[in-house]
Amino acid sequence: MAEITGTTIDKHEAPVECAVRRYLYIWEGQIRIIHWINFLCILILSITGYFIHNPFMSADQHPYIMGHMRHIHYVSGVVFCGGVLARILALFVLSNRFASWRAIPNPFNKKDRETFFAYIKFYTFLSKDTPHVIGHNPVAVVAYIFLFGLFLFQILSGFALWAQADPNGTMYALTGWLFGLMSNQWVRWVHFMIMFMIAGFVINHIYSVILFDFKTKSGEISSIFSGWKPDRRD
Amino acid sequence: MSNFKEMLAAHNVSRRSFLKYCSALGAILAVPAGMTPRIAAALESDNRPPVIWMEFQSCTGDTESLLRANRPTVGELILDHLSLDYHETIMAAAGHQAEASKHATAEKFKGKYICIVEGSIPTGADGVYCTVAGETAVDILKKVGGDAGLIIAVGSCSAYGGLPAAYPNPTGAVGVSDLLPNKTVINLPGCPMNVDNLTGTIVHYLTFGSAPAMDRFGRPKFAYGKRIHDNCERRGHFDAGQYAEQWGDHAHRQGWCLYKMGCKGPETFHNCPTLRFNEGLSWPVMAGHGCVGCSEPGFFDTMMPMYKRLPNVPGFGVEASALKIGGTIVGASAAIFATHGAVTVARNWKQVKEAKAETRETTKETTD
Ligand code: HEM
Ligand code: SF4
Repeated sequence: MAEITGTTIDKHEAPVECAVRRYLYIWEGQIRIIHWINFLCILILSITGYFIHNPFMSADQHPYIMGHMRHIHYVSGVVFCGGVLARILALFVLSNRFASWRAIPNPFNKKDRETFFAYIKFYTFLSKDTPHVIGHNPVAVVAYIFLFGLFLFQILSGFALWAQADPNGTMYALTGWLFGLMSNQWVRWVHFMIMFMIAGFVINHIYSVILFDFKTKSGEISSIFSGWKPDRRD
Repeated sequence: MSNFKEMLAAHNVSRRSFLKYCSALGAILAVPAGMTPRIAAALESDNRPPVIWMEFQSCTGDTESLLRANRPTVGELILDHLSLDYHETIMAAAGHQAEASKHATAEKFKGKYICIVEGSIPTGADGVYCTVAGETAVDILKKVGGDAGLIIAVGSCSAYGGLPAAYPNPTGAVGVSDLLPNKTVINLPGCPMNVDNLTGTIVHYLTFGSAPAMDRFGRPKFAYGKRIHDNCERRGHFDAGQYAEQWGDHAHRQGWCLYKMGCKGPETFHNCPTLRFNEGLSWPVMAGHGCVGCSEPGFFDTMMPMYKRLPNVPGFGVEASALKIGGTIVGASAAIFATHGAVTVARNWKQVKEAKAETRETTKETTD
């Protein structure tokens, strides 16, 4: 495989003449499917979750509205749990090097460190050189790790809240320990707050994707639909 | 104390209503109906342990609850008959006599008597915020509680610290189990506890010789095993989407769900909706006020504001609601990236202009 990490794009390059030689299939099908399942789940969970927090429609708009909202929240919660676990599993099996754990920047590797700080410099306007790697942006990988921590807490707290309907059941046996660490009001509070943190991430995520799609001409946006990214070396 | 059968007769309690009471208790405890004779036999036997009822930082609400024991003819007699050797509010003895009776019972029935604690225990300033007969509550509890056969903490204050432990907890108030970590403490939180649950707990102990099954917070499962929200008579309105939005509005007068008025039923485990208070007459939600979550650990602080669903967080100027903090997170993120975007557009202005021109040029060449 070609050398595909750590190039920087010269700021003076000619804008239209693209340095692309061919396309590489970076995001394989399962990764894209999981990405969009999780996207849909987060969207549905946020809408129904906000409704649970503040039921802004009433029985006048739809009979049994809270019952249905909660049902949709729980069902998409279960799907989301599957999606998140599948993505974590895909770090280790059935994925190429761009989607696997090997894409995580290694702080003990000099080259990884340099690439990482090239991105930090670019983000903070300290450097005009746009860094480029063909897989994950390493700063984004750090954000994703943090994000998946939020997801895991959201799943744990969600199932724990659900389990309260039957404290003698299996689900409570698996998740009830959370209430020994924090009261159920704070579990709800954090579950609610993480929704906003995820929304904050989404703003960042979409912005960065557009930014790098524009700056590096490497098909960031289309790659999550089609999987292809240009193999550019310059 | 006289023979229990004679006592029932003297109060005109028929055998039939006594057995009826026993089966009602069996139902509260969720034991099979066949247990009724065993419960009756345990109550009638004459080797019941004495009770020492200690009151520390409390409002005496649990004593009130005890004195207003519903189904009083039998329930009250059982508690009376337990030989309440020490209870500051209702005992006849006072001063040295009262203390002597407490010490005598604790001595004579060491390891056997039932110790009931009402109110939180202040640990601040070496415990001086609450002393009885010159001894601090901490010392009394460690001595009398430590030697008890069974300890029951009645009310939220003795169970988890309750109101005196609310922020900023000036007296360093704690619950019984915080001070007696190695003893089994049965918590009957509630503000006040429901006396039927106390009777049930004691009768369970008398009948089976052990504490009832408890949850992770030391509460008997027969009384705290289900959420208010899951047994509430307004639950149908919750799922349907029918909510009171203001006190006294149409929905409130219809008896619809109080979720949007800050009801804490979804967070609170207690049998209020099924057992109710005052001879099964009513309970808070039935009376039109949301549950305030009094029987959960962390009450008062975690359940406030009373009329909002989620806690506020201090330290953001004034207390900030969860929604405000969440909105700030999203707003800050949007502002940061909008600024970044604006700067990026400015910095790339020249490149974009060149690109536009070059694209026009190139496409002209190819189409020509
Ligand atoms: C992106 C992920 C999620 C978001 C943004 C989200 C959002 C929310 C929000 C805003 C609430 C209302 C909190 C309140 O005000 O009390 C809520 C409640 C809840 N969520 Fe989630 N949630 C997510 C994932 C999950 C998952 C994975 C589950 C597990 C199946 C779950 C189960 C629940 C439950 C059981 C409740 C309480 C519902 C009730 O009171 O009836 N959530 N969620
Ligand atoms: S009134 Fe409270 S406990 Fe009853 S259904 Fe509504 S939210 Fe639940």
